[in-house]
Amino acid sequence: MHVPDGVLPLWLLAIMYGISGLMLYISVRKINKKFDDRIVPYMGVLAAVIFAAQLVNFPVPPSSGNLVGSTLLAVMLGPWAGMLIIGMVLFIQALMGDGGLLTFGLNFFNMGVFSSLVGWAFALVLFKGLKRVTDEKKSVLVAAAIASFFVTVLAAFVLGLELLTVPGFGVTALSAITVVHVFIGIGEGVLTFVILLYFVKAKPQVISFLKESEVSEMAKVSMAASPTQQIES
Amino acid sequence: MDRKETIRYVIPLILVIAIVTAVILLGVASQNPDGFEWVLFDFAGVGEPEGGFEGIWSFLGDGVGVEIFTGITGIAAILLLGYGFFWLNARKTE
Repeated sequence: MHVPDGVLPLWLLAIMYGISGLMLYISVRKINKKFDDRIVPYMGVLAAVIFAAQLVNFPVPPSSGNLVGSTLLAVMLGPWAGMLIIGMVLFIQALMGDGGLLTFGLNFFNMGVFSSLVGWAFALVLFKGLKRVTDEKKSVLVAAAIASFFVTVLAAFVLGLELLTVPGFGVTALSAITVVHVFIGIGEGVLTFVILLYFVKAKPQVISFLKESEVSEMAKVSMAASPTQQIES
Repeated sequence: MDRKETIRYVIPLILVIAIVTAVILLGVASQNPDGFEWVLFDFAGVGEPEGGFEGIWSFLGDGVGVEIFTGITGIAAILLLGYGFFWLNARKTE
């Protein structure tokens, strides 16, 4: 889903840089206010884990896919920290030639801003529903996996809408990119489940949805209580 | 941060680096274009852009060794960037 330079029109890239810049500013402000330095080592490690996971493509013939990780990060640390980590990963990748520098704003919007916010909200709704029928840890695993699947498909659809500005890319291609990402989304869901399972077992304190979380207060979105508080109320 | 805690931070990182290195060395990763590239360039037939910025390591060329080197330097760079950025911006507890 990393769009290179030279494909999309400059006006669209400029708009996306504007939107992404604003969201980057808001997320940095949120981090300034809420995050304390106790979990800083985890931020670096998670960024590295996501970067490394994105290096490997799994086959989805005739194409392939890789983990994006935005829903995973949003469930763990909240959407603000999640989108910042994705932004850093995309920046390093752009420097290494994967995704363009001019398209950085657009790529950040699709995989960082949109995917983190929608993934977080969707996972939270699912988590609250699942929590009524099973325990918290199973609920977060299933909710994150399902949300990451749907967000992958939705983000591909959004990318397809953006690509409609490219001559030669029509509604059929929009359908194709969405359908291909249904299969890539399954991979995203499975990888999200597996990585989150490690953290559920090893360090549940860094999963913002869980009661024992040490980051739920930091991860909460303004105008809403933390996920744990919302569920308890 | 105690020793046990440090190990919990380091294990996933080492594990991921080991898996990525093994996957590259064994050639297990898919060489197919990703979903976006396939739809745009193969399915829709839009011309692939040529030239432009190919990355800071493009002068090294291609090969398994180069892939492992660029992968590991990328992981180190993102680790430092992530740690440094959040350390600078997080509230200090002491």
